[in-house]
Amino acid sequence: MTKPAVMRHMPQIAHVDVNCFYASAERAFNPSLEGRPVIVLSNNDGCAVTRSPEAKALGIPMGEPWFKIAPRAKQWGLVALSSNYELYGDISARVMELLGRYSAWLEVYSIDEAFLGVKGTPHELLALGRDMKATVRRNVGVPVCVGIAPTKTLAKLANKWAKNNPAFDGVCHWDSVPAADREGLMRRLSVIEIWGVATHLTKRLNAIGIHSILDLSRADPVMIRDRFSVVMMRTVLELQGTPCIPMEEERIGRDQLIFSRSFATPITTAAGIRQVMSVYGQQASARLAKHGLQAKVLTAFAGTSHFNPKDTSYPSVCVPLPMPTADPVLLTKAAHALLPRICEGIRYARAGIMVTDLRPSGNQAPLALFENPHEERHVGTLLEDITRRYGRGSIGLGHGGIRGGPDWTMKRDMLSPRYTTHWDELPLVKAA
Amino acid sequence: MGVVVGPRVIDAGASLLSVLISPVAVAAGYPSPAQDYFDGRIDLNEHLIKDVTSTYVVRVSGESMAGAGISDGDELIVNRALEPVDGSVVVAVLDGELTIKRLRITGAGVVLQAENPAYPDIRVPSLSDLVVWGVATRCLHVV
Repeated sequence: MTKPAVMRHMPQIAHVDVNCFYASAERAFNPSLEGRPVIVLSNNDGCAVTRSPEAKALGIPMGEPWFKIAPRAKQWGLVALSSNYELYGDISARVMELLGRYSAWLEVYSIDEAFLGVKGTPHELLALGRDMKATVRRNVGVPVCVGIAPTKTLAKLANKWAKNNPAFDGVCHWDSVPAADREGLMRRLSVIEIWGVATHLTKRLNAIGIHSILDLSRADPVMIRDRFSVVMMRTVLELQGTPCIPMEEERIGRDQLIFSRSFATPITTAAGIRQVMSVYGQQASARLAKHGLQAKVLTAFAGTSHFNPKDTSYPSVCVPLPMPTADPVLLTKAAHALLPRICEGIRYARAGIMVTDLRPSGNQAPLALFENPHEERHVGTLLEDITRRYGRGSIGLGHGGIRGGPDWTMKRDMLSPRYTTHWDELPLVKAA
Repeated sequence: MGVVVGPRVIDAGASLLSVLISPVAVAAGYPSPAQDYFDGRIDLNEHLIKDVTSTYVVRVSGESMAGAGISDGDELIVNRALEPVDGSVVVAVLDGELTIKRLRITGAGVVLQAENPAYPDIRVPSLSDLVVWGVATRCLHVV
């Protein structure tokens, strides 16, 4: 008996992600890291954001601050690295480009994961998944796992299973697994493990008797919608095999853009914060322009370290902009509204800005009276062009400008070479 | 004299065909016969890198491959997508390091060969014991 063609060709979704992405990208160019515990630290060498399986086995929790790990690093033979964003960005782009060859329907979900629309018989889909895994590993140099299922939520679950159960060898096609095994998995896993269920909702789900993923998959979608939200209802339907989360060309959780970072050396003056705000104002402008967006609201904030409980200060200010804008001068000026709230002498460990209420530029033509003179003169594009040509920091507006290397720039003491983007930092191969 | 730049769009039935007009100053009066042959300058990326996604550039440290024309400080274009065969110059992983050697696969076994008599060959039990990182396709040698 052959299944009707229509059944055979029901589109499915493959979820592909790189195992321990940052650590794997480092290992691709430094094979001596293979088999050793490796962690990659967040901005400013703050805390562990990626842990190799060996580092996880040492019991290092996700997000553990580096200063707590450092004393034992040597004894463990642990290698800690600063985030090498240029390397990760390039490797990510290569992985995505390669995956794009397998499907015209590719949604880059994050720096290290993507959804792909795929079609075929179970046998073909499994073969496709294995081919993707082998090809990314060989051609780019990083390991991936693949989950293939009728919905995004199940594809993510299948991927997680493929990662944790060696029997799958990194590729799980959901429908090819016996139903009893799938149920067993869903019974074992708490709802918190499922994509799209936030921590704070778990308690509420537990309160109505939903503990495992299996419980959630058997819930009444309408009841779930009434008690929770349409989003949660979608998760239930997806668990039941009905695709409800559409593929997006570009995932723009982009109702906001955030620029924030902790400082290598705390900033203790309003003048220092002013400089930071100027840089972020320009960065926000460039990013908005790149995506053809304008912002209506800007929030600026600063804060002292969590690890320094005395003299705390968390000033913030929310500035409604006079009109939707991507103008660097206006954004910078708005960000400076934070300055009167900065206490001189307090050690600020981080600061940032967030622009929200984003809309496509040119959607609503502002009255000529309110059009921004700087936008008209293309100040933003000019700054961008110069930066592209002469490098970051070669030009800037006002206080974010070309002052000599401010001491708050990111601390990245354990940075590996930017192997693929800088001619002076190419990987070395030994001829000996 | 006028400079013609920018694409011109010709409506060819259903599809729009865009035509690149070469950025050459056009003398009023007599057209340059060479203009018909302008096809853009040579782009080394296009000729030296067949598969951008799978290609990396590495730098050589040492003289063990001198006989193959690969010297200390040269850059190699390495394609990871290529299947290594007998005779390929490969970047292999040896003792946690990226190492450049000539791969020899014969009936007698697998050997990583240096191209300099001062350096020994390395015998590998079988091809499956060998981690080939990539296959070098070009050497950028400073003359």
